[in-house]
Amino acid sequence: MTAHLPQAAGMRLSCRGLTVAYEEAGRPIPALSDVGFDVAPGASVALLGSTGAGKSTLLQTLKGLLEPEGGDVVLDGLAATDEGFVALRREVGLVFQRPELQLFAGSAREDVAFGPRRLGWAADEVAAAVDAALELVGLPAADFGERHPYALSGGEQRRLALAGVLAMRPRLLLLDEPFVSLDPAARRALVVVLRRLVDGGTTLLLATHDVDAAWGLCGERLVLDEGRLVAAGPWAFGAGGEEAFAGHGLEPPFLVELWRRLGRPVAEAPRSAAAAAEALR
Amino acid sequence: MRATITQYVPGRSPLHRLDPRIKVVAVTGLAVALFVRSSYGALAVFGATALVAVLISGVPARWFWRGLKPLLWLVGLTFVVQVLFARGEAFFSLGPIHLTWEGIERATFLSVRLVILVVTGALLTLTTPPVALTDALAWLTRPLRRLRVPTEELALMVTIALRFIPTLLMELDTIMRAQRARGADFAHGGIMTRARALVPVLVPLFVVSFRRADDLALAMEARCYRPGLTRTRLHPLVAGARDWLALVLVVAVIVVAMMV
Repeated sequence: MTAHLPQAAGMRLSCRGLTVAYEEAGRPIPALSDVGFDVAPGASVALLGSTGAGKSTLLQTLKGLLEPEGGDVVLDGLAATDEGFVALRREVGLVFQRPELQLFAGSAREDVAFGPRRLGWAADEVAAAVDAALELVGLPAADFGERHPYALSGGEQRRLALAGVLAMRPRLLLLDEPFVSLDPAARRALVVVLRRLVDGGTTLLLATHDVDAAWGLCGERLVLDEGRLVAAGPWAFGAGGEEAFAGHGLEPPFLVELWRRLGRPVAEAPRSAAAAAEALR
Repeated sequence: MRATITQYVPGRSPLHRLDPRIKVVAVTGLAVALFVRSSYGALAVFGATALVAVLISGVPARWFWRGLKPLLWLVGLTFVVQVLFARGEAFFSLGPIHLTWEGIERATFLSVRLVILVVTGALLTLTTPPVALTDALAWLTRPLRRLRVPTEELALMVTIALRFIPTLLMELDTIMRAQRARGADFAHGGIMTRARALVPVLVPLFVVSFRRADDLALAMEARCYRPGLTRTRLHPLVAGARDWLALVLVVAVIVVAMMV
């Protein structure tokens, strides 16, 4: 059986002048200031920035869990006031930080089925979506479907929680620090799943501190610093690009740094160890 | 942070610096006296005392208002019940409703007393850090240890509980958002639907809490915590002249109120 999720093409995402503030002790604390960018359908984009830069706030605002003070989220060309926007927002999947903390059902299958059921799908459609999502994250329903979520390993729980969102067939997937507190094997397994999603055409926005994983998965990056967008578009490490990294609490990916030290053009830095070995052979 | 349950408002006023034990005793005394003595004079004395204390505390009035808001319905209910069921000569009648001046007077009296009580209590919690409060309670209940009541442990439990309430509320907020992202709906439907909607929130919240409690217990043991021992304090409670003066003042207020 092959994973046939997602079926639809990735979603186009744009933001204009997005401004979000939290209220603390009666005073507004700005979390995002005038953030605007475009993500093409099917693109995979890394969202980088140090802790507190506003990455989680941005993702939750895109999903509609936080209300922006100003600015627009535009999905497939539709703004919040347009008809059909609500339906599009349902096709935005958001995976929280440490999503395994939100597992609650008595079996893996039941937990993954929660979202699709909430969407009001028919029982057979729910079952198909659940099986496909479990397959996609590498926890085939035949082996894992009836297991208790809390009996799984940490990495398996993380992928199960991801399946719970994937089963809703998101066309835009927002991931908040998916690699945090995973051991190397679990991280590798998750990278494989995300690679599948990217290849399948889902639009991906990946908030992470793991710049090496982001470098391997994402063609572009957004850099947030204290709520402001300081870089967007394809990765750049040359004159200016390097500063854009070092100045915002970030470091270049290992392979980029390696290429720089080898005196090779960083624009040609490989995306994987295998590609690096190939180039150096 | 939207999750604030312990309502301590940091400050450096004389009330903030008062020995928490004195504060607990004073507020308890005032609250009891407020209910023992029901005269307008006493009410005026207690009201004036609370007002002066609020001004001394330097805590903005809106914090007291926040404490009062949830009790407004109780005040309202007291008022309605008193007005409706009071005896006396009606000056206005509509069906079964008879308004009497006595009823309105009584209702006003009780409502004002309730407000004074809440403000007096809020003075304690707004100017005393929770940990100081539990320390004071542990000290004041020390005699109970002769009866083998584990007061130190109870005080520690309360301290830990207070410490984790904001954490749990934040956790709750995150889990609710995460489940909303999966289509959960907490705002619509009847009582049963809404109660069922909470299952995906409460199960993870409990699991996380138990895990955290386990970790905390291990961490405390690793730092040699043992129940049943007399612990020494980093900041021993010492009542100075100012604290005793405050207590004398409060006693004086109560005595005056008892006489007017």
